[in-house]
Amino acid sequence: MMTLPPSERDLHAYIDGKLDDADRQTMDTWLAANPEIAKQVLAWQLDAQNLRAGLSGDLHRPANPELDPSFIRQRMRRNRSRHFASAAVLLIAVSIGGLAGWQARDMTLANAVLPMADAVQAYRMFAVNENVASDWNTGKPNNVQVWLDKNFAQANRLPDLESAGFKPVSGRLSSTEQGAAAMVVYKDAQGRTLSFYIRPPIGQQRMLPRGTRRDGELQADYWSGGGYNYAMVGPADDPAAQAARQALKRPI
Amino acid sequence: MNDVDDQLRELLPRLRRFALSLTRDYSSADDLVQASLEKALSAWTGRRPEGDLRAWLFSILYRQFVDNHRRSRRYSRMLELFTGASGDDQYEPSVERTVVARTTLQAFERLNAEQRALLLWVSVEGLSYKEVAGILEVPVGTVMSRLSRARQALRQLSEGEITTPALRILK
Repeated sequence: MMTLPPSERDLHAYIDGKLDDADRQTMDTWLAANPEIAKQVLAWQLDAQNLRAGLSGDLHRPANPELDPSFIRQRMRRNRSRHFASAAVLLIAVSIGGLAGWQARDMTLANAVLPMADAVQAYRMFAVNENVASDWNTGKPNNVQVWLDKNFAQANRLPDLESAGFKPVSGRLSSTEQGAAAMVVYKDAQGRTLSFYIRPPIGQQRMLPRGTRRDGELQADYWSGGGYNYAMVGPADDPAAQAARQALKRPI
Repeated sequence: MNDVDDQLRELLPRLRRFALSLTRDYSSADDLVQASLEKALSAWTGRRPEGDLRAWLFSILYRQFVDNHRRSRRYSRMLELFTGASGDDQYEPSVERTVVARTTLQAFERLNAEQRALLLWVSVEGLSYKEVAGILEVPVGTVMSRLSRARQALRQLSEGEITTPALRILK
């Protein structure tokens, strides 16, 4: 039940048709006795009516199909799947990049680091070729170990392959990117050839675990010690060379 | 789902009208409706809104508008700072509007956005004061006093008592 004089809320409720019948009648009576306020209320009522009329045209604008809920749902789905697609493409791209990078790394490593590739190469170029000039041979006054020690400090001793019938016959210095390298050629009575190769490691950490690899008809046995990498290269399937390899396995 | 869409579809003209009364520009009004419907549809999957659907949608749209407006105000203030030019829109009332009550409409266009929203909700859409208070997140008493001010401003503007620039500054 409304009290008089009417509150601001009651006046608005009257204008907006939100009073119940009894209150509306009370208000009608009260307004009849208060013409100043009645005038204002009437003006506000007219304004509201004018607004309703004036804005009703905006309800009848031609439909915009892009605002239809089903269209908006579709658009949202499209956007979402586009986001997923972008994310997926990104993920794939990153994965491919990563894999390719890893592959490239492996390839670079493999290329750079086939262990003691230069030892095998040196064997092919020099060890089996009698005509290549040597830096040391059996005609020199120093023995081969002394010659080697002049060039490589703290290197492991040359392997003693006498038990397998192989003796050092010549030595040759060469250079690598990391520093001096040397090859000592061993031969046995039958002219079979083995080589001992010494070189600085590639990079700080590239010390080699003891290992063996085959390269064509040749076999390289390699290891590290005293700050250098070593390899013994010889014919892979030759029994005498195998015997020499056995000799190598004994502590040097 | 279709039930939801039907309800939304039915309210679409009212949403577009409300958006238009806020933005006073047809295409940005429809952009506003679109953004609001997206919000509404994403929110709907969680729970069905309580109470009057229309009031709920109005409140989403109004908040969206206020956020956009704040952003563009910041932008225009920055623009002003750097170029000395005011980004404030010089609004020309649309000629497509009904000729009836042109004075009231023109006065309405000059009200600030909250007053336009308030009058549209109360006088045109007939929302309850409680619903309006819910949308604006203020007590009902505050709604009443703002409604009085809006009605007075509309009246004064209709009678041409206050010149436009003065009121725009008050905003």
